[in-house]
Amino acid sequence: MATDTRTKRLLNWVDFRFPLTEVFERHLSKYPAPTNLNIWYLFGFLLIVVLAMQIVTGLWLMMNYTNSAEEAFSSVEYIMRDVEYGWLIRYMHAAGASAFFALIYLHMFRGMMYGSYQKPRELIWLGGWFTYLILMAEGFTGYVLPWGQMSFWAAQVIISLFSSIPVVGEDLATWIRGDYLVSGITLSRLFAFHVVLLPILLIAIVFFHILALHEIGSNNPDGIDVKKHLDEDGVPLDTKPFFPYDISHDIFALGVFLIIFCSVVFFFPTGGGYIIEYVNYEPANPLSTPAHIVPSWYYTPFYAMLRAVDFPLFGLTAKFLGFATMMAAVAIFAVLPWLDRSPVKSIKYKGILSKTFLGIFVVSFFALCYLGMVPPTETKALLSKIFTIGYFSYFLLMPIYTRIEKCKPVPERVAQV
Amino acid sequence: MRLLALLAISFFSGLSFTASEYKCGSIECYEFRADIRDKESLQRGLAAYMNYCYGCHSLKYSRYKRVAEDLAIPLDIYEQNLIFDDSKIGDLMHISLKESKAIELLGAKPPDLTLEARLRSPEWIYTYLDTFYEDSSRPYGVNNKVYVNVSMPHVLEDIQSELTEEEYDRYIADITNFLTYVSDPSAETRKQLGIYVILFLLIFTAFAYLVYREFKKDLK
Repeated sequence: MATDTRTKRLLNWVDFRFPLTEVFERHLSKYPAPTNLNIWYLFGFLLIVVLAMQIVTGLWLMMNYTNSAEEAFSSVEYIMRDVEYGWLIRYMHAAGASAFFALIYLHMFRGMMYGSYQKPRELIWLGGWFTYLILMAEGFTGYVLPWGQMSFWAAQVIISLFSSIPVVGEDLATWIRGDYLVSGITLSRLFAFHVVLLPILLIAIVFFHILALHEIGSNNPDGIDVKKHLDEDGVPLDTKPFFPYDISHDIFALGVFLIIFCSVVFFFPTGGGYIIEYVNYEPANPLSTPAHIVPSWYYTPFYAMLRAVDFPLFGLTAKFLGFATMMAAVAIFAVLPWLDRSPVKSIKYKGILSKTFLGIFVVSFFALCYLGMVPPTETKALLSKIFTIGYFSYFLLMPIYTRIEKCKPVPERVAQV
Repeated sequence: MRLLALLAISFFSGLSFTASEYKCGSIECYEFRADIRDKESLQRGLAAYMNYCYGCHSLKYSRYKRVAEDLAIPLDIYEQNLIFDDSKIGDLMHISLKESKAIELLGAKPPDLTLEARLRSPEWIYTYLDTFYEDSSRPYGVNNKVYVNVSMPHVLEDIQSELTEEEYDRYIADITNFLTYVSDPSAETRKQLGIYVILFLLIFTAFAYLVYREFKKDLK
């Protein structure tokens, strides 16, 4: 076994200079994951896979994309028609964006359900929240790049929201656009953000998120602190090593995910207009506004809130208040760890009030998602208002209902569940 | 939670989807399913398009050669019969009508139609080509039910009067099929490759499941 000792010697050489084995064991092979993890714990892994896929497909798209107002649209069609497998790369990247959001919403909901944001995981949660913010910016900037009608007008609408900010708004919007209207200048700066600044931030924060997680350890569906009971090596008793137990689970899940994802990419690449809007098959035209401007499905809950606030208040315009509401709806996730006063983590052991409000949140989120997609009517405007209140009530009333409700006792050990 | 979910479902199913306008302008779209596998139909559609539409409507994101290859037309035959200017077979399908000239002649620039079938839908194109009617108030004496007050003349008028209704329906179906193909030329390759990809993933996932199940036994 000469090669074996040679590999070992090489490894020893590296380990003497860099903690390779230690890092590998700590973060991968021996990472202790609670034994009671369920299906909701798969999305973090899948998100990493999708992130990697977006980086690789994005890199290849970038090789053939031209970031100028004159060339952008036709360069995308060039990718679709003349580049070998360009259509595959482009559809994967477009569907990948939707998958990214679908998975991150599921991942966030898992955290909300099982109280994964609670002490001592506040920083993990904040890291995740920041990832979500960057992802929203990444999604928006990427959406503009094909420079179709919807790209142009979505950019126009979103950037003009900043102009509603009192006093500095107009100047701020001009500063963001780099022009008085959305133009080629705007396109190339959004391109720069999309391919350099935001991905770097995204990777850095995801790194932080995982590092913090591996320091504290994963939460679990019962919110049991597994670190209370250790074996003689200091490993929590109610855990199993990541390799091979979790990785085999994750790879199976990856297979299932890829079957769904590839079915979309190969058979429904435009996703019925939800992944690639049909209006975006017309090149950007500043002189003709599409009849119906809608953002991608993953932004529509917030878009519905923007439209729900249609009244001025305290001398502030309706547009600004709507914008502020929309921003607050995203920002409020950040303070979740400090709103929850419950002695237990998981929804399983929380009282009826927590369950009800989480239910209200879910219903409101889906309802707003739908309401943001359809053209507004009077009834729908009213519904948007009601569900906006529903959405915020989950957060704002949390300090009250988590304190007054009666919780069930949490078992000491996973085996007792 | 369950009660809430039920409430939500009943609530949404009660919401009426009131469409304020039809998908095809002033009328419902006619029923039409594009068949991009029918090579003969695509070839007829291409010929019709090149003769009646291509004078004004470019296909500037597509290349002659790609169309020839995908539609199984020998390159030399294609070059002799279906390229009208000095374009090379590998060129993009630009038209020789200049934008300024078009505006002078027609009052508007005829749009490029490479992506029309994706932008509007094949049904839209088919219905549009089938719903020209006489209207003396319009400059060309015709109007359209799908694209109301369209500034395009009814270029297929002669064809329509020569053919029976059934033949004309087939004629415009061919054009629509061709435009559907050209809007997404990789569609067939994509679907064929997709079958293999899904088959591979099914096998992969089955084995991944077996591995997972084996390790799971250790934990019991």
